[in-house]
Amino acid sequence: MDPTTAMYVAQGIHGLAYGMVLFLVASGLTMIFGMMGILNLAHASFFMLSAYFCFQVLAWTGNFWLALLAAPVAVAIFGIICERFLLRKVHAFGHIGELILTVGISMIILDGVKAYWGTESLPVKIPPVLHGLVNIGGLDYPIYRLFIIALALVVLCIMALLLYKTRLGMIVRGAVSDADMVSALGINTPLVFMFVFGTGTWLAGIAGVAIAPILTVFPGLADQIGMDAFVVVVTGGLGSLGGAFIVSIIFGLLNSYGIQFVSQLAPVLMFAFMAIVLAIKPTGLFGEREA
Amino acid sequence: MIRIFRWILWIAGLVILLLYPWLFGIYDTNVFVIFAIFALFSVSFNLLLGFTGLLSFGHAMFFGVGGYGTAIALSRIEGLALLPAVGIGALAAILLALILCPLLVRVSGTAFAMLTLAFGQLLYVLALKLRDLTGGEDGVGGFPIPPFTIPGVVSVDMTDPLNFYYFAMAVIILSIWVLWFFTKTPLGSVMVGIRDNANRVDYLGFKVPQTKAVILIFSGAFAGVAGSIYALFQNLISADGAFHVMTSFAPVLMTMIGGVASFFGPIWGSAIFGILDELTTRYTERVELVVGVILILVILFAPMGFVGLYRVVKEKWSSRRSNRATTEANS
Repeated sequence: MDPTTAMYVAQGIHGLAYGMVLFLVASGLTMIFGMMGILNLAHASFFMLSAYFCFQVLAWTGNFWLALLAAPVAVAIFGIICERFLLRKVHAFGHIGELILTVGISMIILDGVKAYWGTESLPVKIPPVLHGLVNIGGLDYPIYRLFIIALALVVLCIMALLLYKTRLGMIVRGAVSDADMVSALGINTPLVFMFVFGTGTWLAGIAGVAIAPILTVFPGLADQIGMDAFVVVVTGGLGSLGGAFIVSIIFGLLNSYGIQFVSQLAPVLMFAFMAIVLAIKPTGLFGEREA
Repeated sequence: MIRIFRWILWIAGLVILLLYPWLFGIYDTNVFVIFAIFALFSVSFNLLLGFTGLLSFGHAMFFGVGGYGTAIALSRIEGLALLPAVGIGALAAILLALILCPLLVRVSGTAFAMLTLAFGQLLYVLALKLRDLTGGEDGVGGFPIPPFTIPGVVSVDMTDPLNFYYFAMAVIILSIWVLWFFTKTPLGSVMVGIRDNANRVDYLGFKVPQTKAVILIFSGAFAGVAGSIYALFQNLISADGAFHVMTSFAPVLMTMIGGVASFFGPIWGSAIFGILDELTTRYTERVELVVGVILILVILFAPMGFVGLYRVVKEKWSSRRSNRATTEANS
């Protein structure tokens, strides 16, 4: 294969990997919004916190797989505590109260992280199994990026099965479209909300662990991915998982090819895309309702 | 009686403002100027949140564009006078509002918050990337600060902090007064109507998107003035100081702490916030942590802010007094 094509393919793989990570973060965000009407501005902070937990587990045990299991679960538990004891209390004051509460949580996480781990970026080693390149069809691919894509796909499949094939998934989908009705049918919706919030933060946690070896761990991580994830959710349509998936992939590719061709303007491309979509359809690509 | 009392209070406030630099010294005067700048910024922000019900998470873009407008104009144009420089800052903010309003007025609620957040970030990135115009990470600094001149009458040197204090106060108080006046006009009533029930306002024959656009431009213009004064005061404007998300969140916090439902709430909020900030930076580096905790406590226990708390206490107090009056009359 000639080097130009190889470069395009390599950039495509990078874009896909980033898009997948973006989707992991955005899916939790869009699910929480769809169900509870909360735009969780602390979502990216949970993502960052998970990356730090991953670093810490690695520092203690040196086992990446253990970190991949434990860090997201720890973050999910933390998220559930925030939901149960803080978010639920301010639900009565409407969206603005919830938005500001999540801003408060994100500030506390950010400063707590800075206080405990410092502000420098901490390296996370890729486990030896996933190190290096693999040769497929005469092209070298970095194994770790392929691993991220595979991991995201596996998580996506599990989530899809859970959502569309189980009774719990049915309740969740019902609550997304009409939470009051589901509650009237005798289902404990606050409990379901808590479960969904936990799952959302867990997904963000997985993304945090997956990204840690690539970008290293630093406090600015939340800003970087958080903004992209918000743009994905708004563009894809608030509450739409399919929209989040498609837009994540588009943004991942837009990002990597954008850096290739118009490196100065790469960060702007995404916002331009969002502006065009929202100008034509204010609810986002697949959104059905106004936020 | 209450009217006279109120006038005395206003005059006393004005006298304190006039004598402030002599009473508290130059350091506290500078702290006060920053407080006043953010008070104007928060009041202009509250025009959107408190009066129109639109939560903007990117209000720093108007603040920053105002600051950059003034700073770039002063560093590029030889012999530009002071007031036109502030005017250019306000105009830049108005221009930005005009560009964005076709998109922003179509949405409300969370989508409005997200869109403003996104555009704020976009401007932050642009301010870092367009090095030729904005100086990248360094920002625009060291521009000449022209004296305040009325041709043939007077020329006051603005590099003197004392003179600048009076100039800043005059501009800020005038701006806040204009904003207050704006809320009392018929358009201001339509604004409150949009907050409470946009559909009904629409049925009454008012044009909701156009009204929102006017309010956005108005609010943006005065945020621009605040940014412009900020740039003049610091003699520096940088992307991290002006466009950063934390600058956008500052008026949100101040308005929430002070009280959303009142015009003067944000001013109280920025005063409380300013004092807290001074105290926390004196004792700890973890300002964000403290601010975050305070924010959560305010939302949990006093969702209407300081003014709301004050009103509740006042109501309880006056009802107790009237209760006592009635029992005394009965006995």
